[in-house]
Amino acid sequence: MAGPLVTAGGVRLAGALEAQRERLLPCVHCGFCLPACPTYNRLGDENDSPRGRLHLMQAVVEGRLDASSDAFQTHIDRCLGCRACEPVCPSGVEYGTLLELAREAAAEARPPGMLTRSLLIVMGSRPLRGMLFMGGRLLRATGLAGWAVRHLGGDGVAGKLRFALAMLAATTEAEGFRRRDTAVAGVASATHPSGSVDAESAGTVPDRALDAPGGTVGVLQGCVQDGLYGRLNDATGRTLDANGFHVRIVTRQDCCGALHAHGGDLQSARHLARRNIEAFERAGVDWVVVNAAGCGAAMKDYGVLLEGDPMQARARAFAERVRDVTELLAAVGPRRGAPVTCSVAYDHPCHLMHAQGVTSEPLQVLDAVPGVEVRMVAKADECCGGAGIYGMTHPDLGAHIGGDKVAAVRETGADLACTPNPGCMMQIGAGLRIEGSGGDVVHPVELLDHSYQRAGYYR
Amino acid sequence: MATSRELTISSVMTQTLSTTMADRLRAIVGHNHVITHPDRLVAYESDGLTAYRVVPRAVVLPETTEQVSSVLALLHEEGIEVVPRGAGTGLSGGALPTPDGVIVGTARMNRILSIDQQDRLATVQPGVINARLTEATAPYGLYYAPDPSSQSACTLGGNVAENSGGPHCLKYGVTSRYVTGLTVVLADGEIVRFGGAGTEAVASLDLVGLFIGSEGCFGIATEIEVRLLPAPEGVRTLLGIFDTMQEAGHAVTDIMASGLMPAAVEIVDHATIVAVEASVFAAGYPIDAGAALVIEFDGTEAGLDEDADRAEQCCVAAGAREIRRATSEEERLGLWKGRKKAFGAMGRIAPDLLVQDATVPRTRLPEVLARITEIGEEYDLKIANVFHAGDGNLHPNILFDRQNADELDRVEKASQEIMSLCVSVGGTITGEHGVGVDKRGYMPLVHNEVELEMLRRARWVFDPSGSLNPGKVLP
Repeated sequence: MAGPLVTAGGVRLAGALEAQRERLLPCVHCGFCLPACPTYNRLGDENDSPRGRLHLMQAVVEGRLDASSDAFQTHIDRCLGCRACEPVCPSGVEYGTLLELAREAAAEARPPGMLTRSLLIVMGSRPLRGMLFMGGRLLRATGLAGWAVRHLGGDGVAGKLRFALAMLAATTEAEGFRRRDTAVAGVASATHPSGSVDAESAGTVPDRALDAPGGTVGVLQGCVQDGLYGRLNDATGRTLDANGFHVRIVTRQDCCGALHAHGGDLQSARHLARRNIEAFERAGVDWVVVNAAGCGAAMKDYGVLLEGDPMQARARAFAERVRDVTELLAAVGPRRGAPVTCSVAYDHPCHLMHAQGVTSEPLQVLDAVPGVEVRMVAKADECCGGAGIYGMTHPDLGAHIGGDKVAAVRETGADLACTPNPGCMMQIGAGLRIEGSGGDVVHPVELLDHSYQRAGYYR
Repeated sequence: MATSRELTISSVMTQTLSTTMADRLRAIVGHNHVITHPDRLVAYESDGLTAYRVVPRAVVLPETTEQVSSVLALLHEEGIEVVPRGAGTGLSGGALPTPDGVIVGTARMNRILSIDQQDRLATVQPGVINARLTEATAPYGLYYAPDPSSQSACTLGGNVAENSGGPHCLKYGVTSRYVTGLTVVLADGEIVRFGGAGTEAVASLDLVGLFIGSEGCFGIATEIEVRLLPAPEGVRTLLGIFDTMQEAGHAVTDIMASGLMPAAVEIVDHATIVAVEASVFAAGYPIDAGAALVIEFDGTEAGLDEDADRAEQCCVAAGAREIRRATSEEERLGLWKGRKKAFGAMGRIAPDLLVQDATVPRTRLPEVLARITEIGEEYDLKIANVFHAGDGNLHPNILFDRQNADELDRVEKASQEIMSLCVSVGGTITGEHGVGVDKRGYMPLVHNEVELEMLRRARWVFDPSGSLNPGKVLP
């Protein structure tokens, strides 16, 4: 059955995977990954398991399966990319990297849908995503997004739109956290690239650089974070500053490219990676700080993404410097702030836990806030179904996975949900809103920031 | 014996299922739970033993006993073969498809139906993962004892089919000691119940016992009642490092002869230590060691330290150059790591891996291991050994590349020689992985024609049509 099945394009695509044979080979088909996979657990089809997907990839490489086939397209697309299979793999198969290559092969064989394509174009362009997020902030500020969530139907196009708006509404700052503007100007505006402070004037506090025991850091502004979670970027800068890091502004940085890599557009992902490497190199920072798990995971993998590229060595050096904000804070043992009395339902982001192996650090950050009671969500290590825009591309399965997570969050009876990744914050927040049970979602660093404000550390 | 040449997909054409049949199956289990497109069947072409591959005709994923019954009745009526499949982690090819057969998978039958704390019993569907049962019963201070090394992934249905063991079966025994009742769907769809409610099969012939280990040839167990044990109060774990396998073997013999009852006694050989330490799973075993011995005691706290001390003395007397003792759960997992990660580490040094499984009398271990090394050299194959030393259960890992036809041939010959060797010293051809398709050819080594005929008749009693998992176990 080999040969004629494979189109000219298929051969070329298989080539990309073929080059990664070394990464595919370690799979001994033991099946240890099956129970870790959220899609397999719910569907029971081995094609929707990591082992099955690897088998499909291998079949493409061997020329037994066409990359444009429904089987390859559907099952590769249906993967959440949560990488829960990686830590349980006894052979250390680099599933995340393989998935990206498979997605590229799939996308080249059959271009993805309009929604995905437009999203990737918009996210890859600063002016376009600036406009998109401006519109988003407008819908959010006017309360239109929240209103639409309550009034739109749950099926078809309306359902998809409702989910998108619920994600948007979920980015609203949590109740009780909306106080700011006073005496926080310094670092806050300096970390914001659209702010009026430029790189040179951020350096006008040279004494601070000298007594920054933690080193110099540059914060990835990101796309969604910059557009909808500006407060989180600000909080990241402020809390790091309060813990002895010197926060330097990094101009001309861009989207990390994770969305593109996950969507099979590795060319754009590489382009964005190069831009970021150049920008952060120019800024001369010790650490590249990220407050979004997916971005951090992608940037720690720049060395792999740019394999064979003239910039590979630089990409590796760059990747070595990437840290999640909670990693840096935990490393210095974050300063304790003022009490914030609340209970939080904590959930692990897949791209922190499985992709980066970061699990205790966010909890150490929460530990620095007196009065916070952490309640672990049941199956906190399982994906929330966020996975980019999975809720819109796979409404049924996405709702199933997301629904289970929302139920587990509510089961804790906590005041707030808490997870250190904007994507998961939006997904869980959207689920809570659609169910009408309300409930805000915060990033641990937001809580720490709030606690520091109360303690008067920023005055 | 069945060679891989007979079984490679290139030589057998898988028949597709008729549209009418597919529709009738879909009417029973739901539209999305019948897989018929050839592209989507590739993922099911093998289980944990990848040396054999056959694409099935279709895959059906029922959710209840009734659905299994209707599916089997329909397939039986049409004379279509059935291959049961759990998580597909088996290492003897027990779930290898047949070209004319339909896979009936238990992936969606993954509910724990009841946990009875008082009677220490649980009833589960066959797709429940072994380790999940222990997780679910832990809040009651109970656990499920048989612990195959794949327990984080393998299912209890598969454990029943293979009569699975694991490191701690040295003290606690294998699956058959824990299953007290079964609901079984026979080949023609008939539903029968054996045992139940914790009763031993005292009032009649032991059909539960007969069914366990039948490797999917007798029926599909759709509800499994198992006995649970109270979780042990304490655990002590030792790691002994030896210069030679001979010394480690002596230590094991001494420990067992001294009247101690360890929960587990595991040996990792030099070749395996080198592989593990060179991989990302480095466990800190010295790479010049001839063997590493993991010994574990569990039970009530009183006496555990004394047991561990005595085992340590046995190791020292046998010539151990170093003994490590765990003082925390983290350290305990560290000591086990080199054993637990062995399988995965092998995957990184060769594209394919054949994990063999045989049992020999404990005292014959050192000579058998020496001979296995020679066999590896004769056939120019890399063979590494990890094994449950306490009960003489060997797992020689043969590393190879399936693309290399000549090497595949040598793997087969070496495998056969190892089996003959184990049988010749008074052992048998499987310890816990089952016979499946891989060791079917070795059955005459341990059974004469009269015994084989008895086995065939036993199978006939359950499945006169012979359509359940054909080509497995019996030559």
